[in-house]
Order: sequence, then structure tokens, then C-alpha cells
Amino acid sequence: MLTCKQASFLASKKLDKKLTIRERFNFSLHTAMCGLCRHYAREIDALHKLVQKMGKTEDTLLSKNEQLSEQSRERIKQEIAKVLHPTE
Amino acid sequence: MKNNLSSPELWLTLHGDILYRYGLARVRDIEVAEDLVQETLLAALKAQTNYAGKSTEQTWLIGILKHKIMDYFRKASREQVQEYDDGFASENEDDYFDQQGNWQVDFSPWSKPDQSMEQEQFMHVLQNCIDRLPKRMAQLFVMGEFEDMKSEEICKVMSLSSMSNFWVMQSRTRVQLRHCLDINWINQ
Repeated sequence: MLTCKQASFLASKKLDKKLTIRERFNFSLHTAMCGLCRHYAREIDALHKLVQKMGKTEDTLLSKNEQLSEQSRERIKQEIAKVLHPTE
Repeated sequence: MKNNLSSPELWLTLHGDILYRYGLARVRDIEVAEDLVQETLLAALKAQTNYAGKSTEQTWLIGILKHKIMDYFRKASREQVQEYDDGFASENEDDYFDQQGNWQVDFSPWSKPDQSMEQEQFMHVLQNCIDRLPKRMAQLFVMGEFEDMKSEEICKVMSLSSMSNFWVMQSRTRVQLRHCLDINWINQ
């Protein structure tokens, strides 16, 4: 019988890779009897789907006001100008 | 339909913040994200004759940025990260499980945020929780979820010494994130 720690590991691995038959068997056996791990697996599955969806829509997990600082914007502008107008 | 590029002088104004946010979301480091914008625009200047007009200007620039992000992860000191990962994998201290491997954190029920208003609040909490992770874990987590890449490829790009290290890190990240959401997201 798996411990909850081992089961939580498989619950996470399951999201990134297909489990082996043995892993699936052990995981099902554990979660059949463990409400906490069922709960855990459900929640990280929801989290996984949500974050994946955000990646696709470029909703980037950052606050809306996150933007380039004036300083770096100016620096980049100058670097671009150097390439565009090398003689100036 | 064929797209045309705007004048390079406008790129920074038009796409600078979008590129910055795209990079920052993945590398989780302000200075690195700023440098990536610069590298991307300079690379785009050199590559503009190759632009075929099949994608929009912004999609094209993001494509270049993606390569720069991969280069950044590849270049980031391999030894240093492997040391961190190995230390991480062999670490026995665990705040979330007891000696017998049983959960020792509370579980409160949080349901999937489905209302849009709730979703915005939820995103805010999620973002804070991700920012609280060690940077390496946050980068791995975001790359793993955002990019359409196999775990094996991510391991290679991010210099993980083994796949099992990757599973262990992702698993711990999810345990921590879920717990952080649990205590900070109050879904009434």
C-alpha cells in the first residue's frame, strides 16, 4: 500500500506522463481508500488544466500593470537605434 | 493574407510590454525578461528579411522570443542548477507529510473558480503563490504547463540531471501550490 506522499507523487506524475500499469494499480488502490488523496488529485488536476489553458491564451500569470520599466525601455530604444542608424 | 511588418522603430512601443510579460511569466526574473526583449528585437531586426508574412508581426516576434527563452535556460549555469536539484531531491525535510508519509496539512474544499470575477481573484492568488516558490521551481512549473513540450525536452533544456528529479520537483511544487491556494483562496 502506498503512503499519501507516494500517492501525491503519482497524482502529479500522472498529469505529465502516462503511468505504468503497476503505478496506476497502486494509485487506484490508495485513492479508493483515501479521501484526502482523492481530493488532492482532483485539485491539482483542476490547477493543471487551468494553468495550461492560461498558457494557451497568453494570460500570463502576472498582474496587469507589469510592464517594461522606463529605464529599460530607453536602453532598448537606444540599442535599436544603434543598429538602425549606425553612423549617428 | 500576407502581413507586413511595421517600422522597426515602432516594435518596442507596439509589442515591448507583451514580449516582456511573455518572458517574465516564464523566467520569473525582471532583469532577464528585460534583456530578452532587447535580444528579441535585435534578432528580429536582423531577421526581418526572412519574415514571410504568414503570421502577424506579434506572433513572429513571440516566436523569436521563445527561442531566446530556450537559449537562456540552456545557458543558465548547468552545474549550479544541478547542485540545487540534487540537494532538493535528497532533502528529507518535509512540511507537508509526516514521517510515515501521511498528509500533515489541512484540506479545505476549494472548488473550481467558474465565475469570471472569482477567476480574476483566483488568478491573483495563484500568481502570488507561484511568486513564493523558489525561482527554479517556478520556472520549471510554468515551462512544464505552458509549453507544448515533452517532459524529456524540458529536462534537457533546463539541464535536469534525470527525469525522476523532474517528477519529484513538479510533485513538490504542486503540493506547495495547492496548499498555498488552500490557505489564501477563500471561496465563499
